[in-house]
Amino acid sequence: MNTGTLRRVVLSINNISKTFPGGITAIEEINLDLYEGEIVALLGENGSGKSTLVKILYGVYTPDSGEIKILTGDKLSRVNFGNPVDAMKHGIILVNQTPQLIDKLSVAENIAITLSTLRSRDHSGFTSISETSKLLKEVSESTGIRVDPNEKAYNLTYSQKQFIELLRAIIVNAKIFLLDEALSYLPIAEKKRFYDILYSLKNSGKTVLLITHKIQEAFDLSDRIVILRKGRIVGVLETKNTTVDEVRRLMFGETNNKYIINNNWSNPEEEHVIEVEDLAVRDDHGREVLSNITFCVGKGEIAGIIGVAGSGQRELVESIVGLRKPIRGKITLAGVDVVRKGIKAVREAGVGYIPDQPLKQGIACDNSIVENIAIMFSSNPILINWDIVKEKAVEIVKNYNVQSKSIDSPVKTLSGGNIMKVIIGKELSYAKQALIACNPTRALDELSANNLVSVLKYKAHAEKLSVLIASEDIDEVLTISDAVYVLNSGRLIGPFQPSKVPRERIEELMVA
Amino acid sequence: MKITILKRKKELKYGAVIASLLSILFGITIYLVIIGLFGVNLVEAINILGKSFISPTIMKDFLIIYVMGCGLLLSFKASLWNIGGEGQFYIAMIPGIVITLLLFNPETSSTTVPAFIVVLLVIITGSVVGAVWAAVAGTLKAFMNIDEVPVTLILNYIAYYLVNHLVSGPLKGKKTYGYLRTDEIPGIYRLNIILPITRTGNQFEEAVYSFLTQVSYYIALLVTAIAISVFTWWLFKYTKLGLYIKIMGSNPEYLYATGVNTKMLTLLIMALSGSIIGLSGSLYLLVEWGRIPYGIQSHTPGYGYLAILASWLSMLDHRLLPVSAYLVAGLRNTGLSIKIAGLGDTEQTLIILGSVLLGYSITRFIADYEVKIR
Amino acid sequence: MIDFYGEALMRMSAAFATIYLVALGHSLFELSGVLDLSIDGVFFLSTGLAVLFSAQLHTSLTTLGVDPLICTTLASVLTGLVTALIGLFLAFILTVLPISHGAVGLSLMFLGYGLGIYAGYPVRLKYGSIAQFAYPENIVVYSLTLLVSLALGLTTYRMLYSTAIGAMIRACGEDPHAASALGVVVYRTRLIACGLGYFMVGVGGSIFTLLWLRYWDIRSYVLGYGWFAYTIALAAGRHPLILIPFAGVFGALLEFNISIQATYGLPVDLAGMIPFIAAIALMTLYGSTKLKRLFEPPRGLGKIYYKEERTI
Repeated sequence: MNTGTLRRVVLSINNISKTFPGGITAIEEINLDLYEGEIVALLGENGSGKSTLVKILYGVYTPDSGEIKILTGDKLSRVNFGNPVDAMKHGIILVNQTPQLIDKLSVAENIAITLSTLRSRDHSGFTSISETSKLLKEVSESTGIRVDPNEKAYNLTYSQKQFIELLRAIIVNAKIFLLDEALSYLPIAEKKRFYDILYSLKNSGKTVLLITHKIQEAFDLSDRIVILRKGRIVGVLETKNTTVDEVRRLMFGETNNKYIINNNWSNPEEEHVIEVEDLAVRDDHGREVLSNITFCVGKGEIAGIIGVAGSGQRELVESIVGLRKPIRGKITLAGVDVVRKGIKAVREAGVGYIPDQPLKQGIACDNSIVENIAIMFSSNPILINWDIVKEKAVEIVKNYNVQSKSIDSPVKTLSGGNIMKVIIGKELSYAKQALIACNPTRALDELSANNLVSVLKYKAHAEKLSVLIASEDIDEVLTISDAVYVLNSGRLIGPFQPSKVPRERIEELMVA
Repeated sequence: MKITILKRKKELKYGAVIASLLSILFGITIYLVIIGLFGVNLVEAINILGKSFISPTIMKDFLIIYVMGCGLLLSFKASLWNIGGEGQFYIAMIPGIVITLLLFNPETSSTTVPAFIVVLLVIITGSVVGAVWAAVAGTLKAFMNIDEVPVTLILNYIAYYLVNHLVSGPLKGKKTYGYLRTDEIPGIYRLNIILPITRTGNQFEEAVYSFLTQVSYYIALLVTAIAISVFTWWLFKYTKLGLYIKIMGSNPEYLYATGVNTKMLTLLIMALSGSIIGLSGSLYLLVEWGRIPYGIQSHTPGYGYLAILASWLSMLDHRLLPVSAYLVAGLRNTGLSIKIAGLGDTEQTLIILGSVLLGYSITRFIADYEVKIR
Repeated sequence: MIDFYGEALMRMSAAFATIYLVALGHSLFELSGVLDLSIDGVFFLSTGLAVLFSAQLHTSLTTLGVDPLICTTLASVLTGLVTALIGLFLAFILTVLPISHGAVGLSLMFLGYGLGIYAGYPVRLKYGSIAQFAYPENIVVYSLTLLVSLALGLTTYRMLYSTAIGAMIRACGEDPHAASALGVVVYRTRLIACGLGYFMVGVGGSIFTLLWLRYWDIRSYVLGYGWFAYTIALAAGRHPLILIPFAGVFGALLEFNISIQATYGLPVDLAGMIPFIAAIALMTLYGSTKLKRLFEPPRGLGKIYYKEERTI
């Protein structure tokens, strides 16, 4: 293939940078050209800035500096997107990791929205829902993807939603497809069908930018691989001329450490601190997302629950700590009957909690670090002993290496990683009997993540803290846990002993 | 050219003060534009505006708005929008009338209860009634998640009607010269200190004296304002409840996740807020009105709403509340003076209130966001 | 001569049309995700504006030979246009700026009260009664009003549930961020919903004073009738068709409440309280039963639309 000589550049990104409040630089001086008829993989770890770049390309975020040029007619011209509609009008469509469909609307209604926006420009008139349904049926026949236009979006499975997002892009005749982790969590069979559609798009001259943290996916699909690390492009490689090792080295840097897998299979004689029996839970939309969940965690044991995003991890941890009322089932945590007593009793029993949505349930960003710590560590029912609380805050900030001007700074002035460290610090100091955590290493740099893993292991194995970790990160779970469970479509499989079961088997169970 | 609005990467210095001042200026501008459009002489209006801020009559309004502002601030800081100050204020006057005129009236019965006990009883029952009235909305909010804004507003109307009904029925006065209102509460229960009128001929001395007259007349309000101010300061500086209120305002889900019963807390905060409003209602009865007239909606100075304005303009910072309460009192006096000058009517206070609130609501975002033009 | 029942029926249909149009407009407004707390102020403003416009048009146009009915109708339309402008203003600033929907709404509520007095009071002072500027008391007018309001309801329903623009409006109300990613220009969509919505609120307000009550007073701003529309819109899930029975019941209650004072000598203030207590009771009923799940408010209602929010 003669890359770049004959084919035209369709999108040119020049010196794009973006900084967020709290001074965290998300991406810095990104330069990249995309050609027609190619699939480019943008690879990077969590937090490397991939999503920020995509959101800039789709008009969601405004870059602080730099410019974007798009091929219009025969020449590249500068664009300045104010919103996604601007991007769509230039032929860019985004398919996100979390589907962007509006749950309460039908499939046809969801697509009619995009269609009518783009059509109003060439004056072909008002789009009716029934007209969209017809169009949808035509495209669904040509691609072999079955859809019912009248189905409400909330009744669709994750894979169905992703296919519909792709159909939407095809219906509006997009030129540049941005896929932000759109394939990462699809089951294998669906993934293969997605690949086929993407290949045929490429052959008809479309451009695909595949954003992913999965190296294998990049090798399966792409012509070129672009690697982002800490907000900068650290490598642009021809896929056929590179190796997985080289890509991995660029992605993680030199410090990438080998996983140390525990061999601390729990003793069944040990007293159980967390006991869950036949649990069933609804999500925010009222659907039963977890059923027949039964497991237990012993004193001093670390149990890890792995599953792709949206498998019900959030609902599981929320119901275990008493924040979500189950439909049925029994939960005992640190001697507390959770379903009857609720979160208050759970907390009083000495349970720490690192939530899936840390900014919602884990911290109050408008308040200072010390205030956030004070509400958990003040024993007097009426007055606050600020001397004791301040001492505690200083200790946490020091032990967990929180970068902050002072303990009186509002949490919102900290970077994401430092906010996470405050949450982890206070919850770990608070936890006396058990810790329930969801994705605890997110937003942390490698060093802090490794520190957290060793602190957790120490707390569990030496201080006999029982730990339950739900995560989307398979490496994290395999590294930390004594016992591993897989959560897939609301069912729990396991336990497995991390040293005894191959990683591939776990991956299979996650998507099967 | 595109205008983008971005969260500030660094906090704006004196952001609260700048935003407050901007919103006042913006609001007064909107107000002047509106009345200008309706043909009011703006030079005259601005003149009246200036004078209204230095008149001694501002004292009463300032004190009552400050106390009520503290009460509302408590709930606002917790993101509980108690817009029902009006209703809580008037409904709290009812026990005062019942106690002083029906139960312990020295003119009709031989009561031996000391006057200060009766006054204390009036104040306590007033606070309790105010708290209960606000707790209705608090309960609906806490246990059924019904927006407290419409509920507190609707409760204002119910309070108006209820008070009107009582005043024209069971509590109707007998010595009212044919007016529909309650009787005057006995003099021994009134809390004013009245200084004798003195004329010295010196303008400055007379101004100071007129100021002192106001202070002593409203001494009970002044003492209460100081007490409430100390209470608010103590609450937010040293107590767990104060901290709960602050965190409730920024992230109630987090508060709940740390094991705080946020439902009961919601109820408690609303009740506390209502009790301070109720307290000011019963004081206003003892200090200013002395009776309840029929047709509350035509007689109300709208303190319940003015206090909202004061509380918001302080950016919910109790240290700035005295300043904003003074500004709002000045604006209310402007409305009154414009009415007296024959330039307008009841609508003036409403338009001032609306304009400055609008100015506040629109401009306050600049404290947290910056506007970029590319 | 129309008999007692005929008159009651006529007044009932005026009551229904008022409450229905205001609630319908308010629903359309809120379905786009913009919280509407200025409803009562804007409602009062439209009663004042209707009186002002109608008096002006009557005194100027009737001398040119224009039919009084046309003057009054024009006044209703003009009122709707002014309130529609307010709707556009709200939609614009609440979508473009990261500011509180509640605070802006309440400010406009007070401004609405004040401006309403500014508009209506001079007319009231000059003419005493405004009945001469009202719609004629004739069965055709009342029936037409009823039909027009129902037709507007049906049209709104069709627009919301079978056109792309309707899907866009609902998408903005559910999740403006996702809607934007799907290709909705959020502020433009909200301009349409809020403009149309407030147009209907304005027309409803004009009918209140020019057809139903045929009366206007400076103290009417404490009526708080806007809150009834707010309440039934909430309880009916902001659905144009489900609103119909609710508006009927509340219209009847309010009309009955007015006549009960006159006929049965129930203390005025007690009678005045009833609809407000009914409103709170309805909200309680809504909050404590399955109605809440069934008629869930739009998920994005009243939330600040700011694109660059960060998550960890």
